[in-house]
Amino acid sequence: MTGSAVRKQAVAMPREKAVIRRMPGRPQVTEAPVTAEKEKTTGYVDYSLILIVFFLCIFGLIMLFSTSSFEAGMKFGDTTYYLKRQLAACTLGIGVMFLLSVFPHYRLLKPLAMPAYLFAAGLILLIIPYGYEANGAKRWLYLWKISIQPAEVAKFAMIVFLAALITTMREKAKSWKGFLFCFLTTVPIVVMIYKITENLSSAIIVLGIAMIMLFVATPGYKRFVAIAAGATAAVTGIIYYILNYADPTQSVRFARIFAWNDLEAYASGKGYQPLQALYAIGSGGIFGKGLGQSIQKTGFIPEVQNDMIFSIICEELGLFGGIAVLVMFFLLLWRLVIIASNTEDLFGSLLVIGVMGHISIQVILNIAVVTSLIPNTGITLPFISYGGSAIVMQLAEIGVVMNVARRIRT
Amino acid sequence: MVFLIVLAVFVVLGMRLYLIVRDNSESYKRQVLSQQQYDSRTLAARRGRIVDANGTVFALSERVYNIILDTKAVLEKDSYLGPTMAALVSKFGIDEETVLTYINTHQGSRYYVLKRTVPYEQITAFRDLMDEESENYNENIRGVWFEEGYRRAYPNGSLAGSVIGFTTSDGNGLYGVEEYYNDVLSGTPGREYGYLGDDANPQYTVIPASAGNTVVLTIDSNIQAMVERNIREFAEAHENVARRADGAHNIGCIIQNVNTGEILAMASYPDYSPADTQNRTPLLGRPMVDEQGNYVRDAANEYTYLTEELLDGMEYDLLMQQYNALWRNFCVSDTYEPGSVVKPFTVAAAIESGAIVGNEWYQCNGQLHVGDYDIACHNTAGHGPVSVQRGIEVSCNVAMMHIGASMGISDFSKYQNVFNFGLRTGIDLAGEARTQDLVFGADQMGETELATYTFGQGFNVTMIETISAFSSLVNGGYYYEPHVVKRVVSDSGATVKNIEPRVLKQTVSATTSDIIRNYCNTVVSGQEGSGKSARPAGYRIGGKTGTAETLPRTQKKWFVVSFMGYAPADNPQIAIYVVVDRPNAAEQDSSRYATGIVKNILTEVLPYLGIPMTEELTTEEREELHKMREHTYMLYDLPEEESEEGTEETEPSEEEPQEDVPEGGRTTASETREEPEQTP
Repeated sequence: MTGSAVRKQAVAMPREKAVIRRMPGRPQVTEAPVTAEKEKTTGYVDYSLILIVFFLCIFGLIMLFSTSSFEAGMKFGDTTYYLKRQLAACTLGIGVMFLLSVFPHYRLLKPLAMPAYLFAAGLILLIIPYGYEANGAKRWLYLWKISIQPAEVAKFAMIVFLAALITTMREKAKSWKGFLFCFLTTVPIVVMIYKITENLSSAIIVLGIAMIMLFVATPGYKRFVAIAAGATAAVTGIIYYILNYADPTQSVRFARIFAWNDLEAYASGKGYQPLQALYAIGSGGIFGKGLGQSIQKTGFIPEVQNDMIFSIICEELGLFGGIAVLVMFFLLLWRLVIIASNTEDLFGSLLVIGVMGHISIQVILNIAVVTSLIPNTGITLPFISYGGSAIVMQLAEIGVVMNVARRIRT
Repeated sequence: MVFLIVLAVFVVLGMRLYLIVRDNSESYKRQVLSQQQYDSRTLAARRGRIVDANGTVFALSERVYNIILDTKAVLEKDSYLGPTMAALVSKFGIDEETVLTYINTHQGSRYYVLKRTVPYEQITAFRDLMDEESENYNENIRGVWFEEGYRRAYPNGSLAGSVIGFTTSDGNGLYGVEEYYNDVLSGTPGREYGYLGDDANPQYTVIPASAGNTVVLTIDSNIQAMVERNIREFAEAHENVARRADGAHNIGCIIQNVNTGEILAMASYPDYSPADTQNRTPLLGRPMVDEQGNYVRDAANEYTYLTEELLDGMEYDLLMQQYNALWRNFCVSDTYEPGSVVKPFTVAAAIESGAIVGNEWYQCNGQLHVGDYDIACHNTAGHGPVSVQRGIEVSCNVAMMHIGASMGISDFSKYQNVFNFGLRTGIDLAGEARTQDLVFGADQMGETELATYTFGQGFNVTMIETISAFSSLVNGGYYYEPHVVKRVVSDSGATVKNIEPRVLKQTVSATTSDIIRNYCNTVVSGQEGSGKSARPAGYRIGGKTGTAETLPRTQKKWFVVSFMGYAPADNPQIAIYVVVDRPNAAEQDSSRYATGIVKNILTEVLPYLGIPMTEELTTEEREELHKMREHTYMLYDLPEEESEEGTEETEPSEEEPQEDVPEGGRTTASETREEPEQTP
């Protein structure tokens, strides 16, 4: 499929479907019994998608081991400390993925949208009394000895909630008013994530997911161009203001912006991590130093198995490895777009779009941070970075996508 | 559309990656390599000990710890900083302000020395807080660790301080044995390397430090203590007598085993403690020196003596010069005109060269006209007819000038060389003075120099140079290289090196040696002997007094008085040389200042060495000895009335624990004692 064809389907088709569905006499697909649906679906299994996801997970585990073994050995005396945890989360995630790909029918998620929303909000609120602190931030909850990050759950919940909301509102969502309403429903979660967990990056991701889903669901680019222009202007203005008038010692975020603006000047402070990441990428060259040969992972890049894992991929596998990872993510997103465009059901289509938005935003922001295109925010690379909640939720999202793909009608 | 944007952004990211690699690949590669400081650190080696002949420890290195702060670890969590700082302040009294400033300015620092040389006892409490097993464990105390090091300790305080020297804070020896044997004592530092193993495991390899060797001195700490106490008593008695100053500018004493060249004791006054080198107290009352280290003298040639006020007003460099003057070992580093103690050398040289046979007579009228000068005898009334023996006994300058003249310049100068005057002895101590330029050779000498040289004026010597030559004069002519270290022992106790007595040359024949000894015996035991006051009760000793003028000659105020002797008189085992440099007295020109010290020292040392008393004790002497026993710690019992013959050997008392140790100095002395007697 050519690039232009992809785009056409990705953007245009859900809208057409939405128009078609408003025609009278047409049975409400969403309310059709699940069993009746079964005969009509292709039972399509996107093996390419599964292959890509498996590749990313296994590649991620290999890179995670390579990246984290030094620190794990130093800190815990067990070089496989992070690998074991990630492997367990990954296995669980793959289980969840396959489960969600067959059961329940994705449309059952629609009535669960509101409870999911409330559940996510509740989880975040639980952090206030029961939150567990690590690395200087209170972002985790302990449930049966498993730590979970409510922000990751919230991302999934928002995808489901917005897909259901937009589907329910139909035409109303296209108006300015409806658009604003849909947008405003995300605000409580976004604010909670930002305020309670002090996790700006997750808040931005949730906001981004909402924007992408609304963008796809509503016609006309004007408001999005306006929003994009406004947001760009605001961000530029804020950064300009901070760089010129604020005090870098005032807050961590200010300091990060200052460091981003001039890495060398803050090389021993906030600029240390991004600068060391650049050293890693640059020193890798075209084909890298070879798997496991990274020098920068040996204590030079803090949190190397989290946000900065991409820099080690580049150091060990070179520009070639970095581009290959980008290509893999691109293929993954392409598969998602194919599925979304082939789904006649708006709800299913929006779910897939939401997942696609989630993954693309995280990939883009993560690599932009690692390459110092934007200030350091702390966004992980999907499927590859260390983080149990994240990988389970991301695989669950893929499971939902596979579920949607299975219901594609002939 | 969304997909298109995503694609575009991906392309941008890919371009960015490409640009980073294209533009910075080389420089970043270098940067990464330059950051590689394999976690490697030096492990301090324990410096060897310095022990005396009996095993008494003069210097040792104690394990101490440097407290190191790992700023990065402390800042890992907000909750770490407070408790860690609180614990540091309460346990080590560290200044919170300074450390917080450091932490703020060096957030990535992993190595900052908070405090140096903290003894083990002090860190245990803190370690307890960091120990997970401990009940006091506080998980919020992080980022502090302890680096092992060593600190030099001198358990005997100032005892033999100027012989031992001291170490700088970086562990290098300065002065004395510490400096001379620095390489032997230092050991080899170890190293700890960290590197990445095959499986990316951090690995450590430790090359352990090897401790330095122990140096065993020939010095006997008991004799050293006796010597130092007697010198100190003298100095205290003469403090502020004629001037507000110390008892003398310098007092030096060397006791040498005449049959091995081993130094049994070497003391300088004023002394200092190697553990506390910057203590001002010993400086007070000392003559002040200028930036070049020379004594400060005013127009009237008076000295300036150090006071608190003077020291307070001093620049650092000048103050350090005062300390240098204090730290140097007077016995090996200072030169002075020896005076009459060289008269036995003059006579010995004359006999050896055949210029005299010993039965010559000279007429002393109180002065002799040599060249363009009338050179006076110390007895200006004149000694009348003086034999060679009486020349030594009464210390007649005129007789010596005649003897010198009969030898002539070339022979006299040759024998100065034979006796090592003007040459270094090669003693194993740092800072031995070079006297070559202070002694004229034959080509520079005139009649007048020859005349004054015969009685020890006009050339400079060091104490060690003089006593080493004197030992050869009385032991049958064997010149032993003086030394203070007799053995180097490894950390495990194996002997690395034995320093055997080394005969460098034969200075005089055994016959001449006997003659000189007879002459010198009369100095102490003769009717007119100038050194009678040096005789310790119960012993016969020999020796020679010295009273030397200092420059300028016209002043006749400042004198260096000395006594150089040996004991016992007929079979010398030890030589002793005491020099009192400018005693604090109205009339300095009396060798009694030195003979008094010698007498007191020998009264204690000879019995300690197990040398039997040979002379009858008078009632007065007996009483005096009993009195001495009360205020000093004498290590022997007085002989009973019956043992007047001295056949019964006086034994050191049993309280002395070191008796079990083979008495190095003493045994060697008794073994080699026979040697000079067999020679003739």
